[in-house]
Amino acid sequence: MRLWLTPVIWIASLCALTALLPAMAPLFSWVEGGTDNLIYTRDSFYTLLQSHIWLVLASATMGTLVAVSAGIFVTRPAGRDFMPLVSQIASIGQTVPPVAVLALAVPAMGFGEKPTLFALVLYGLLPILRNTLAGLGGINPAVLDSAKGMGMSSVQVLFKVELPLAGRVILAGIRTSVTINIATAAIGSTIGARTLGDPVIAGLVNGNTAYVLQGAILIGFLALATDSLFEALERAWARVFSARAHKA
Amino acid sequence: MPSSTGLPNRVIPVLALAAFVLVWLLNLGVVQPNRIVAGTGYGLFDATGWFGAGTVSSLLLVVVVLATKPIRNRFWVLSFLLTAALMSLPLLLEVFALRKLPADSAYARIGIGAGFWCLAFFLALMLLETLSQLKASRRVQLSVVLLVAAGWWLCAAREGLSSLSLIREYANRADQFSQALTVHLSLSLGAVAISAVLAFGLALAMVRRERLRRPLLGLVSFMQTIPSLALFGLLIAPLGALSAAFPALQALGIRGIGWAPALLALIAYSLLPMVRNTYVALMEVPEAVVDAGRGMGMSERQVFLQVKLPVALPVIIEGVRITTIQAIGLTAVAALIGAGGFGTFIFQGLGQAAMDLVLLGALPTVCLALAADAILSALKFQETPR
Repeated sequence: MRLWLTPVIWIASLCALTALLPAMAPLFSWVEGGTDNLIYTRDSFYTLLQSHIWLVLASATMGTLVAVSAGIFVTRPAGRDFMPLVSQIASIGQTVPPVAVLALAVPAMGFGEKPTLFALVLYGLLPILRNTLAGLGGINPAVLDSAKGMGMSSVQVLFKVELPLAGRVILAGIRTSVTINIATAAIGSTIGARTLGDPVIAGLVNGNTAYVLQGAILIGFLALATDSLFEALERAWARVFSARAHKA
Repeated sequence: MPSSTGLPNRVIPVLALAAFVLVWLLNLGVVQPNRIVAGTGYGLFDATGWFGAGTVSSLLLVVVVLATKPIRNRFWVLSFLLTAALMSLPLLLEVFALRKLPADSAYARIGIGAGFWCLAFFLALMLLETLSQLKASRRVQLSVVLLVAAGWWLCAAREGLSSLSLIREYANRADQFSQALTVHLSLSLGAVAISAVLAFGLALAMVRRERLRRPLLGLVSFMQTIPSLALFGLLIAPLGALSAAFPALQALGIRGIGWAPALLALIAYSLLPMVRNTYVALMEVPEAVVDAGRGMGMSERQVFLQVKLPVALPVIIEGVRITTIQAIGLTAVAALIGAGGFGTFIFQGLGQAAMDLVLLGALPTVCLALAADAILSALKFQETPR
């Protein structure tokens, strides 16, 4: 399983860093000499990491559910009228900067985790929606016809043919969405969500570069670990699916 | 004539129903005693009385009727109606201010409620659907957007809306606002311009030496993966150290915080879409076209400048479009490291819990991104060979 080696290494180093950063005070005294507050202590890095991951995971799950079902709905005969509008929303919506969505969630919902989650779901579902439409729309009509010709019902065609074929494109959309949301969740610290952005913001406000570095390093590792995980997932999906295609 | 002209449209009634429910359920506006206190909300009927509530409801009803009945030219009528409605929408707030704003308090102001935003959003979606049913040309779409913008501009300039909280925040900061606009534009466009030059060089190198492709693309996509807040944060320490070591840099204004790390990070982020699109564009020029150029006796230099580049231009412009939109959004984040721009208002507003200051930063950022999208899409469309 060489496929999973890289993500495992990244995740292991993320965990190790989270555990060991508090012990690295001498290292940070080199950056931030004049103070005794070398390690961010308001929350443990573990708590922050956990809450950051929870936000991204929850928003990715909800975003995927909403976006994939919307994508399926507008590609069925019953919902085809909505197709042009939904695809335009998906592309125009992605023009709006994620920070602006985050900021605009506050007047609507106040401060805290709730508006952050709302903004992450709302913005995160756009790339997934766009890729779902592209994936389902890019299937060769001859394949669908032959599936129907084999006597499959439309539900069977959807689950056995369309979704597996579109899966890799949808997965790529989820990857884009999660990458954006890890970054946006970090900025969510400014609207009161507890994430790895907290040490960065606290450090910027107090002029403590050590705090900034600790937050930034962990956010960077989280992003890279997640990205390598998706890289492996995409390869695994392709491998499983092409193996199945060979058998058939 | 579009083929679906005669059939009842199902999308517009659904949107109109959603708009109707939301505008009656949510607060249209808020009266605040001052800029920080949350204030009391008013629904559509309380805020604007029979006149406003009746106008809004009958407008939505007329829209549904027009969308479902086979009337001649109904989509043209709909697009006129919806454009006019969107243009004059701020007048609802003016009616609200006239009815509910206490006259005796100098600090009282009105805020925009969720109901108003929902109404504007759904009207815009209905207009979008109408325009796509009409298969409207780019020119028509652009003039509709400009008309709506002009309508809002005229409404905002009227005396009746001077008590609007957003406009008060602007009036208090008119100078800072234009300064923020300058900083925001120069940072994001500067980063785009610099990265365009760099990316062009890198893409050319990749075209010439296939070996360079994997490591270079790997490097730029690695940088793209690192979240913005982390990259801004990581640049503080090295730039701070550099500036401490070399006073000449400090004199130029290069420090750990401010425009220098912001510009560097923005360039780093801009490289991936720029390099990828330029490379793909240059590689995908059809061999036959290049051969035709050579056959006409062009030198390699002429083939590149007169054949390859014009054919590749639309895809390169698409890269510039993605990069510009991204840079405008990231510049807002850069306000956290003291780079200025509209993000300053956003984060100041969040810090003071002054929601309209947040809007004053967020809305122009969104408008800039949408404008950049419109301009560069139009340019790409114009350069596409037919």
